[in-house]
Amino acid sequence: MKEYVIDSFGEACPVPLIKAQNKIKEIEVGDVVVLQIDHSCAMKNVPEWARKDGHNVEVEEVDDGEWEVIIEKTH
Amino acid sequence: MSDAVKVENASGSSSIRRSSTRSRTRRKKKNQLPIGIVVFVLILLAGAYFGFQSASLGLQWILGISFGFILQKSRFCFTASMRDPYLTGSTSITRAVLIALAVTTIGFTAIKYGYYINGLPIPGMSYVVPISLATIIGAFVFGVGMVIAGGCASGTLMRVGEGFSMQVLSLAFFVIGSLWGAHDFEWWSFHIISKGPKVFLPDVFGWFGAVVIQLLIILCLYMVAVKYEQAKTQD
Repeated sequence: MKEYVIDSFGEACPVPLIKAQNKIKEIEVGDVVVLQIDHSCAMKNVPEWARKDGHNVEVEEVDDGEWEVIIEKTH
Repeated sequence: MSDAVKVENASGSSSIRRSSTRSRTRRKKKNQLPIGIVVFVLILLAGAYFGFQSASLGLQWILGISFGFILQKSRFCFTASMRDPYLTGSTSITRAVLIALAVTTIGFTAIKYGYYINGLPIPGMSYVVPISLATIIGAFVFGVGMVIAGGCASGTLMRVGEGFSMQVLSLAFFVIGSLWGAHDFEWWSFHIISKGPKVFLPDVFGWFGAVVIQLLIILCLYMVAVKYEQAKTQD
């Protein structure tokens, strides 16, 4: 199992979403992507997409206005 | 528009196995409650001040604050409503916008019809403007711009309020663009816009017909959105 960290601080949606989608495509099942964001919209659309796609998702607020979206590739 | 985004607490209730412990060593968050209370009191004081100046100014202040609050909490993003169907196949925000349009259709018709049957001048008729090539060009340019800027007008304003610095830049160029647009508007108006037809639906279909037709179109778009999402998520 590998963990990939994507630094998306300062990037407006949809950039974090596209980065997460591309990363999920190239990694293996069981790997984890940690997407670091500070854009509140990405906090909604990234988990929504990942859940719809069937992956395990968690959101952690690591600091005021900074989040980590943790996505585990399941298929 | 669900709040499915549940923020997990930091105490390690994570079900996803993680290799690093990096996220466990985090700074202690500042308590924002005192700031919130101070801001709330300031909003009330400013509201009272504006209210004494003029009643409509006070109303505008309260409405503005409420709009901002709802926008921030609901993530009601017009950009996402147009963009997410293509990017993620999700039409939840698109459908929310359609519902909003349906509600405003009924509300605005009620207001306008109320003025009409009382023989008063109908409010807001200056917004009935000709449809022309300029509408299409403008919509396209705005669409490209809002996706690059990461937000439409309301979204940009809301995120400036959240303190997202990149969109302070968006706002600055938004203002520059608007001024430029206002500067050139006369040329567009004279050469292109004024040549288009000016359509006010109640004049064409009658008041009842206009509401029914507009709601039917919205309903069709809604059903298309549902079907589109089903088709997109199946493959």
